[in-house]
Amino acid sequence: MSRGNRIALACIYWAFVLYVFVPLILMILMGFKDSKFIGFPIRSWTLDWYTRIFSDAEVLHTFGYSVIIAVLSTLISVAVGTWIAVLLEGRKFWGRAFTFGMMVLPALVPGIISAIAFRIYARWLEIEPGMGAIIWSHAVHNVPFVSLVVMARLSTLPKSQIEAARDLGADPLIAFLRITWPYLVPAILGASVFCLLLSFDDFVRSFFLGGYEPTLPVLIFAMLRSGMSPEINAISTVALVLTAAIGIWAERFTRKAKKGST
Amino acid sequence: MSNEASVSNAPDGLAKTEGERSFWGWLANWGPYQTLMSVVTLSPRRQFFILAAFPILWLLTQHLGPMLQMLHVSLLDAYPVAPDVAQEFSLESYLKFFGDHIFWMPLFRTLIFAAVFTLSTLLITYPVAYFLARHVSRKNQMLMLLILLIPFWVGEIVRTYAIMILLGNTGALNLALKWLGLIDRPIPFMYTSFSMGLGIVYLTALYMLLPLYSALEKLPKSYNEAAADLGAGAWTRFRRVTLPLTIEGISSGCTLVFLISTGFYATPVLLGGPSTTVFAETIAGFFHVAGDEWPTGAAFAVIMFLVALLITGVFQRLMKSLRKGDSS
Repeated sequence: MSRGNRIALACIYWAFVLYVFVPLILMILMGFKDSKFIGFPIRSWTLDWYTRIFSDAEVLHTFGYSVIIAVLSTLISVAVGTWIAVLLEGRKFWGRAFTFGMMVLPALVPGIISAIAFRIYARWLEIEPGMGAIIWSHAVHNVPFVSLVVMARLSTLPKSQIEAARDLGADPLIAFLRITWPYLVPAILGASVFCLLLSFDDFVRSFFLGGYEPTLPVLIFAMLRSGMSPEINAISTVALVLTAAIGIWAERFTRKAKKGST
Repeated sequence: MSNEASVSNAPDGLAKTEGERSFWGWLANWGPYQTLMSVVTLSPRRQFFILAAFPILWLLTQHLGPMLQMLHVSLLDAYPVAPDVAQEFSLESYLKFFGDHIFWMPLFRTLIFAAVFTLSTLLITYPVAYFLARHVSRKNQMLMLLILLIPFWVGEIVRTYAIMILLGNTGALNLALKWLGLIDRPIPFMYTSFSMGLGIVYLTALYMLLPLYSALEKLPKSYNEAAADLGAGAWTRFRRVTLPLTIEGISSGCTLVFLISTGFYATPVLLGGPSTTVFAETIAGFFHVAGDEWPTGAAFAVIMFLVALLITGVFQRLMKSLRKGDSS
């Protein structure tokens, strides 16, 4: 590869980094602008919008509501997803391919169709739109991601460790709890953080299954439909900083845990 | 950890005979637990059914259930069914789709848009993935990939809003163009297929980048060197070696991005204009009005899902034959 090509490729990479970051940086800057009018240039700066959202009961309430939904749906997806992964990984049984297909289905269905299918199913099951319905839809949607991550980790588990445990007299359950489970913990933690972020950021399912209380993305969407305002910038910036911080922490954590175990 | 080490390190509680001191030893020797385990582990077959019952039930009722119920509702002539009226099946909702261009045009448009956005994402991210996989040292690779991951943890709505600020009439792009003296009056980027495309590519780029990166990363450098030794130029090496051997990554990235970009609802609503109504908006419309429009909405969702699956299926078949054709 010639030197010219290499420089050209490096330029494309950095241009892509700019494409990915510039819109977010502009959005953050706009949240500090001392004017209700969204647009450049910015002449004077203020923290007013932040003090305003942090003293706004509705915004704070919505934030807490979204966090509770994310945590509860994550707990369900992790429990179910891990169970499915243990069933599917390294086991041959009749209908395994079909079971695997069913497992990944929610991850492949386009967002709007998934939301509508859940909406119809919720009415059939007589689940009222609201917190329970949102938690349920997020949990079902996130199960495939947990299962895939846990299956990948399980496939690297040395089978001899389980056999050794069984030889020493452990029954299958104790062997699972003492050998398999600790081995899976880093993968499960990584998957949990991923689920938390997916649920916290989800718009389309929360929108179609929500009652009168909006989640944070639904609130931002509703505010946007009535016009842009620096308050939205402040709310979005807080959400962005939190998600990015949790994501980076999880990435570092899982990398360290993986290094430690091998 | 080697096998020997793991055996000798085996926790003492594992052995039923010597485990009295630990919780695990106590559990293993506890009467009710032993009875339970002797019932459960009587045969491997029974053990398997106990392990499998819950997940299979979950998959059938939670993963397949919503899709089947959607299909069911799409075939009804009214929903919800009134208590003293018998359920009537009809294909009316499906026929409605073909009857009016305000229904099938948005689907057609959505598919064209999704194809264009998928191709754009591929063209934008391939060089990026190529650069990361081939020209960056292993240590920096993870860091540079991690940098790109950060914005992708941020949700759909926030990133769509960021694009709105970039492209608005008083947005940064117009300001920059004006400052450079290229324009006098702002260009209305917003509420066009361009703004919508930029937003959707922004949202889906990572789903393309990661499969491409892993395909390129797996490709041994020696293949390219061998081709060079045999006298192939840079372009020939790329076209005859790199491209065919990364088709798997291209194919899975494109499938993923295509399916995801047909499913966007909020982004087209916020960034698109009246001439870019996508099928997601059409479908959603039936759920914001009276209940008896639900069969139509369900039927349209089924049509969209089947068409999207058909297209990605044909596409994957095509890519597979392309790969075979090249390797022979």
